[in-house]
Amino acid sequence: MDSFQRGMRDLLDPVRSISETAARPLRSAWLGVFDYDDLRDRTERLEKELARMRGRQLSSEADRELLMRLMGEVGIDYTTLDTVVVRILGTPPGNFSSHTIEVDKGLDDGLSEGMAVVTGAGLVGRLEVVDRSRSIVRLATHPAFRVGIRLVGSQDEGLARGGGASGYLVIDAGIRPDVEVALGEVVVTSGGRSRFPADIPVGRVLDPDPDADLDREILVEPAASLEHLSFLNVVLDPRQADAGPLERG
Amino acid sequence: MTGRLRVVAILLTAMTAQVTVFEEIRINGVSVELLLMVSVLAGFHGGPHRGAVVAFCAGLLQDSVTATPMGLHALVYAPLAVATSHLEVRLARSTRPFLAAGLAVAMAVGVLATMLAGGLFGLHEVDAARLARTAVVASLMSMAMAAPTSRAVRWAVTGGLPVDVAVKGSGLESRG
Repeated sequence: MDSFQRGMRDLLDPVRSISETAARPLRSAWLGVFDYDDLRDRTERLEKELARMRGRQLSSEADRELLMRLMGEVGIDYTTLDTVVVRILGTPPGNFSSHTIEVDKGLDDGLSEGMAVVTGAGLVGRLEVVDRSRSIVRLATHPAFRVGIRLVGSQDEGLARGGGASGYLVIDAGIRPDVEVALGEVVVTSGGRSRFPADIPVGRVLDPDPDADLDREILVEPAASLEHLSFLNVVLDPRQADAGPLERG
Repeated sequence: MTGRLRVVAILLTAMTAQVTVFEEIRINGVSVELLLMVSVLAGFHGGPHRGAVVAFCAGLLQDSVTATPMGLHALVYAPLAVATSHLEVRLARSTRPFLAAGLAVAMAVGVLATMLAGGLFGLHEVDAARLARTAVVASLMSMAMAAPTSRAVRWAVTGGLPVDVAVKGSGLESRG
């Protein structure tokens, strides 16, 4: 059944590519007419963001240095992983694709289902469906997303799930109720039996939920911004790294 | 045999149009549900048996292009086609606006049912406001394609069936 579905999508892929190319001017016109306000808001937001980033450059460098030092203390070195750079195409076909995005590389580029998807800032999600030349990424905020995590401060390991529309992750299993979790504590992937390599930054603790009894739910703000992304890195499974990807970032 | 080929042609055309042209036209992130419309209209024009078969196949194709678990859309589309065919039999007044309204409602119900089924499988979160918005927008957008789709589906699913016979009377026949 999976092969049938994949075959159908692969058959349609060239038609979709042609259609996307042909429709690009039309789409631009459509966006110009119906989403002009949105585009203007986005431009204003980016300008403000740029100004703030310039102002905060020094403090960001200090933060980064602090983060790198923290990661260095626990032997974190995720930036050296082999990755394939992928471009985001948009949302997958259909009306039911919340918290998923489609990217422009697939099996032909050495990708396979379950691989971790990251940006320079940290974990974005994982590959859910991989066709010959396209893939679908399930974002970390998807309610069905699960990832094994480790709290860098306490070294406790647990399981986090996507928080859905809230835009956060929720650690709801594995962390002992009596463990002291600091606000802003760095959360990384735990590795182990997971297909995700260890020590990829997941985010920072937003709410440690210290007063909970048994059902402790720690809120984590994702390290990587999941909005307005253009390019992503897919972390190659070390066991398949020799498969010969075309492009590595 | 010709009828089956017609159905295959309609389904493949609808699937291709769905993932190409209609994917590019989205309002609030919602696009036309062409294969769902084909399913509903197949039930309306072709009756419960043919409608169910066409709708089931349309559901499988929809599952393929949207990468959802195989059978999820077919699970919703086939019963919806059967329900539509039964309603069609019971309709006392079948004026054009009345039929259009019925089709819009059937489309909205189909979108809602599919999203709820997807929610049960954990494919996405079930958010009532988003559900309602998607169902209404998808239904209204799809209605813009209703007339040509209806003609095409009618051509496909009535292939091989006896032609319609228009019965005309003087209106003076005795009743009862």
